[in-house]
Formats: sequence, structure tokens, C-alpha cells
Amino acid sequence: MPSQFLAEIIIEGKKNARDPEGETIMRDLMIKHGYDMVTSVRSGKILKVTLEAKDEKEAKEICWKMVNELRIYNPIAHVCTIQIVK
Amino acid sequence: MTEKTISKDKINLTKEEKEAVYKAIKRDLTIPEAAMLEVMNSEHCSYKSSRPVLPKLPTKGPRVICGPGEDAGVVDIGDGLALVFKLESHNHPSALDPFNGAATGIGGIIRDILCMGARPIGLLDSFRLGGLSDPHTKWLLKWVTKGVGDYGNCVGIANAGGDIEFDPSFQINCLINVGCFGVMRKDELALSRATTPGNKLILLGGSTGRDGIGGASFASKNITEESESDRGAVQIGDPYMKKLIIEATLEAIKAGVVDGLKDLGAAGVTCSISETADAGGTGTEIKLENMRLRESDMEPWEILVSESQERMFFVVKPENVKKISEIFDKYELPYEILGEVTDTGKCVVKYNDQIIVDLPAHLLTKPPAADRKASYPKYLNKLNRKWLPKEPKTNELNDICRKIMASDNIISREWVYRQYDTEVGLHSTVKSGYGDAGVFRLSEFDSKKGVAVTFDGNSHQCYLDPYYGGAGVMMEACSNVAAVGAEPIAMTDCLNFGNPEHPQVFWTFEKVVEGLADASKALGIPCVGGNVSFYNHDEVNDVAVKPSPVIFVAGLLEDVTKAVNYSFKAPDEYIILIGETKAEIGGSEFAKVIHKSNNGQVPKVDFANAKTIISKVVNTIKSGLATACHDISKGGLFVALTEMAMNGDLGYEINLKRVPSETERVDIKLFSESYGRFLITAKAEDVEKIIAIFAEEEIPASFIGKVTKKKKLQIENSNNEILIDLPLNEIKQTWKMRMEEEMEGKK
Repeated sequence: MPSQFLAEIIIEGKKNARDPEGETIMRDLMIKHGYDMVTSVRSGKILKVTLEAKDEKEAKEICWKMVNELRIYNPIAHVCTIQIVK
Repeated sequence: MTEKTISKDKINLTKEEKEAVYKAIKRDLTIPEAAMLEVMNSEHCSYKSSRPVLPKLPTKGPRVICGPGEDAGVVDIGDGLALVFKLESHNHPSALDPFNGAATGIGGIIRDILCMGARPIGLLDSFRLGGLSDPHTKWLLKWVTKGVGDYGNCVGIANAGGDIEFDPSFQINCLINVGCFGVMRKDELALSRATTPGNKLILLGGSTGRDGIGGASFASKNITEESESDRGAVQIGDPYMKKLIIEATLEAIKAGVVDGLKDLGAAGVTCSISETADAGGTGTEIKLENMRLRESDMEPWEILVSESQERMFFVVKPENVKKISEIFDKYELPYEILGEVTDTGKCVVKYNDQIIVDLPAHLLTKPPAADRKASYPKYLNKLNRKWLPKEPKTNELNDICRKIMASDNIISREWVYRQYDTEVGLHSTVKSGYGDAGVFRLSEFDSKKGVAVTFDGNSHQCYLDPYYGGAGVMMEACSNVAAVGAEPIAMTDCLNFGNPEHPQVFWTFEKVVEGLADASKALGIPCVGGNVSFYNHDEVNDVAVKPSPVIFVAGLLEDVTKAVNYSFKAPDEYIILIGETKAEIGGSEFAKVIHKSNNGQVPKVDFANAKTIISKVVNTIKSGLATACHDISKGGLFVALTEMAMNGDLGYEINLKRVPSETERVDIKLFSESYGRFLITAKAEDVEKIIAIFAEEEIPASFIGKVTKKKKLQIENSNNEILIDLPLNEIKQTWKMRMEEEMEGKK
């Protein structure tokens, strides 16, 4: 019996790569409006995918196969993490 | 110096390069010094393989203000204005990360124009990719298009045109070349030099991180494998910051507070401090701790060679520092004073009061050239230049035409250029897809002139015959500019080749440059700059890319309102063919797509008449006699006629008997790619006048048929038998939609 799983696929730039979007949010929004305790903002993308699978392990495997095959992220530029939340 | 040194044998330089270094420096190098020398000796920075060959290109001309050696070429276009233009490759970064690679390519080329003091107004792009139907090609095409489009659209610079070729040799090594042009008042020219000791060195823009580091041999020794995956080797652009940098830089130049200006691209700060010092006959001294870093744990050598984007380097008189700071502050751009100009002829870097670099500037900027061997490539022996295809039967011709119009290298590029903003700035008058070159008006600069720009390349012909291939690309690019009514005035090139250490590859490089040089001399066009990209070689399958020069030719229209595009305008207008059609079928779309053959004679450029044909075409358009003009290139006469018909939504009736040719074969008349040919349409009363213009110099010009209201493509032979009879709409549908269907799926 397949059951439903919710997977969170998080795609972000590599740790030391520039992130102009995050930098702009921090510089021009947060710090300019008084939140000067903020020292770093990183932007990214999250995909919440509901899918059917045999078990959690298979759900995760499907997601990994999918993001690699469909090039949903570029391993050269991004870090991708996948977690099954339920 | 207390800085740690590195022993001679650990430095990744050739024997000759080391000799040059240790002759000048009689001591061990520090690690930052070694890193700087390695980067400046790299092929990319030093042009060490190409430098001995490039002087073949002509660089002088009455319009030339700055030739090769500066960041971009500058030519005088009258009215007190100068045109600045350049193209450059971003091949390797785009192959790894097509979006960011292409985007930062655009960012980099904009900086090259800006750092001469000009306002960038237009962009061009050239892609060389594997077969269109291949999934990897589609992935690359999708993201390089997005990268070029996003950066250009965000920074607000219009796209003026481009050129795409699909060929299996680019499957692994795609070639992504980008160009930019800008206009300025001649007296606002900024040079990359530091002329006066005591002047301050200011770095404007983004912070410095570990972007684009990796060339240095010991890079990997200091970091663990885990940290390798964290390193930001991929450069990421920031077009919104670039927009501010453009405005701040131009305002500073207008205010007269800039003494020298240099953009930071390859080799980062190392390149700026050494090239400005060497060009100005001075020295530079900087304090490294003044640089703003994105990562706190960077080593000094990393800071010096980092290629982080969106940075500009200014040389400013001490009394103007306050003024320029106010301009930068107004745009909320970060900057810092790095150091100052000295009179020592040296580049000195201090880090927390310790001297860590002390090198003569010329050692960094003028490394020794490499002595490359050239040998005749074996594959050329297998080609039969005398080959001609078997003559097709009449009933096969319609299908041959259908196939050619639907082939990778002929189909419409609309899917790509419709993602680009071609309007922003309100300069463009002939836009992508409408003319052989993009035409931009200069009304913003109070001039009624216009500039025409084009990219051109033909890697397949350059592969089959490097000399005539190279010459042909130059002729074709000038023809593109002439076909919109502009006089070609200067060119810049980007030469993409495989590994220069392979003698057979290097031979093709030498021959392509010779061909380019001879055509440029024949056409009277100076080369005002360029870029060379070697090592486009797939080491796994041992495949080098086909020799791929991409040429950027700029042209000038005295009156921009006289520019023409190539759409048919009205039924019953006459179609005139200029130039002779020869049995030159080698490397043509016809030979490649229909006969799958590499044989045959590659089109030769008629050096003696090249310049005359071009100037006669320009004069015809200038006099207002031509209603449309198109140069004949890939696909030959048939494709050129059909493109004019599709754009004008009108048909044509042609008789091949009237095509001036050395042969009577219809397939050769239809598909030969001989250079120096144009199609011009005109009203009935102007036909004789046009033919007379060309007859003066005995250039063949012949009325070959008429534009028809009936939406049909009809071609007859000399017995008035119909050879080709195709519905315009069917051909147009496939031609227009195929790329979109490949990229987005069939609707």
C-alpha cells in the first residue's frame, strides 16, 4: 500500500558563493529599518512535494532521482537537501 | 620580507617563465607573489600562445582611437563621439553553470566598455552548442539564454543581436561569447593607467570572496576535501549593483575626478595594480587589510587573485578623493582606498605593515610568449575539394528546401531573442530577427547617426578550410553591416580554439588568423581588440571544438533613418541579386544537411572586389533606392529569399536563368554559399539605376524575379519549368516553431 509523504527540497547557493538577493534583503531592508543586529541573510528556494511512495526511504530516493535527472539544481553552484517531513 | 616563501620547483610556471622571473628577482618568491605570477602567466591573462600570431591583424586606421591593448576598442564616429566595443568568451564558466556563467560574462563585458568611459547601450551574444535535439544542449541553451537575458534586462541594456550554431563538436565544450558596445564623448576617454605618483587607488563595488580562484597550483593544498565543495568557485553576478556602478562611474568621469580606470576581471586586483602601473610608467602600493572581504579567513594570495564580480578600480588625485567619495556615497556604493601610485616601477603589497609582495610591474604584465608548434592537420588530407553532389531530380527539390529550412542552423532564433529586452534605452531601430545587423540610433548623444553591430562565425567552414573560413567570417560580418546600410568601420574578434599545445590545433589557429587578417586588409577594416580562448578541448573523448572565430563588426550610418531591414515590403517590387554564384558548396548547409558531406570547395573571398561590393551596397541603400536588403550566407540564395519572404509575409517568383553564375546547375545556384552576394528589392523605376551602380565596377547585378502577393515560394529554371513551389505559411510555421517545440514541447 503506497502512502503519502511530504518532502521538503531545499536548494541554496553554496556556503561561500555570493548571494545578491540575501545581501540586498539584509542591507536595504533589515539594516536600514533598524534591525542592525542581523549579520547575515541567505536566500534559497524550497519545494514542498507531496508524493506517493512505499515508505520514507523510497520517497527520499524518488526525490533525489528527480532533482538530479530533471536538473532542478546544479551541483556545481547549489547545495540541495531533501527531508521527508511526514 | 618575513612572509613565507615557496621553493622554485613548487611553482607552476614553465622553464622559460621561471627563468624570466628569477632573472629579475634574485630570491625566493613569497606565496602571494607566486600566485600572482601564475595567474598573470596563464593563457587567459598573458595570451602567451596567441601573442606571436596576432600581430598579423591590421590595427591601424583613420578612425582608431584605441586599438588592442586597452580593455575595449575605441573608434571615432564623428560629431565628437566615439564608439567603444568588445567581445569576450565566457566558455568554461558557462559549461559548468550556464546561468551564472553567461550572466557574469555579460557583467564582465559591460565593465570593459564602462572602464573606457562609455555608456554601454547594447549587448550581443553568440552560442556554440551541440545538436539542438540533445537534452544536454537544451539544458545549456535554456540557462545561457536566461543568464544573458536576466543580467541584460536587469541592468537595462538592450540586446542588439547574436549568432547561434549547433554542431556536435560543441557537445561538451560549449562556447558562450558575449559582446557589448557603448558610446561616449571623445574627450571623456578613460585609460587604464596610473600616471602620477601620489594619486590614490580606490576600489569600488562588491566585496571580495573566493570567486573564480582555482588556477593557482597550490590552491587545493590548503583546503580539505570537504571545504572544496563549499568554495564559491562559481561567480555570481549582481546586475542591480552593476547598474549603480555604471551610473556612479560615468558621473565621476563627467565630474573630471578620474585619472585612471580599470575593471576587475581575470586576475582581479593583481591585474589592476600591475597593468595600471606598467601602462603609466609608475608603480603601485596597496594595503591588503583595506580590502572588504566576504569571507574572513581568506589567505592574502586568495584576496589578490580573486575574481569577484562588480568591482571597479579608480586612480584619483588626492584632492579629488572627497568629491569622488560623495558620488559613490550618493549611489550607496561601498568603496575603499587601497593605496597609492608610486614611482618605483614596482607593485608592492603590504599586509598589516609587512611587505608580502614586491615585484616589478612589467614582470606581471609582460610574461614571455610561448613557442607553439604548428603542423598540418591530418583530417584535411581526407577531404575532396573537387567534390560536387549528385544533381537532385526536380521532384526532390521541394523536400530538400523543406529540410534545409527546418535544420538546426537555419531555423528561427526567436525563442532565444524574445527573452531579451531589445527596446530598453530606446536606441534600437533594427532589432533582432529583422535585419542582418542590429541598428541603434544615437539621438541620446545629439547625433543623427546610427551604429550597426553584428556577430558572425562559421565554425564548420573554418574546420574544413581554416584560411578561407576565417576570411569568410570577416567578409560575412562586413556584409551583414552593409546590408542594413552601414559602412563597416572596425572589428574585434574572439578566437575560440582547442588546446594550443596540439600542433594540429595550433595550425588551424594560425590559418584562421591569416584568413581574418587578409580579409580585414582587403576590406580596410582595422582590428581594435580581441580575446582568445584556448583549451576548449574535451580531454575524455579527445575532441577539440571546431575552430571558432567569432567576429564583432561595427558599422556607421551617417543618417540612421536610412537603415533598411530585410523584409519584403510590397508586391510587384523587383528582386535584384548582386554578385556571382560559384560552385562553392563545401561546408554549406546543403552539403552538411542533405549530403552529410564534408567535401567540396569552401567559399573563397574575392579579396580584389570585396571592398567595392560592400561600399556599392552601402551607397545604394544610402541613396534610398533599396526597399530591403539581405546578404546571402548560410543556406544560400534559397534561404535568403525565403527569410525575406517570411519576414514580409509575401511570396516570390524567381527565374534561376537570371542568376549570374559559372554553372547552370540549379542546386548550386540555390544553395552555394559564395560570399559577396546580396539581395536587394526595389521599385520598378529604380531597378535600372541600381544595376547601373554595380555595372560601373563590373559587379554582376541581375533582376531575378518579383515579390508576389500570393504567399508562395516559386522558382523556375531557364526553360520556365517550375522547380520549387512551396506554400509560404507551411515553411514559415516549421522554421519559426521548431526551436520553441524542442525547448518547450509541442503544443
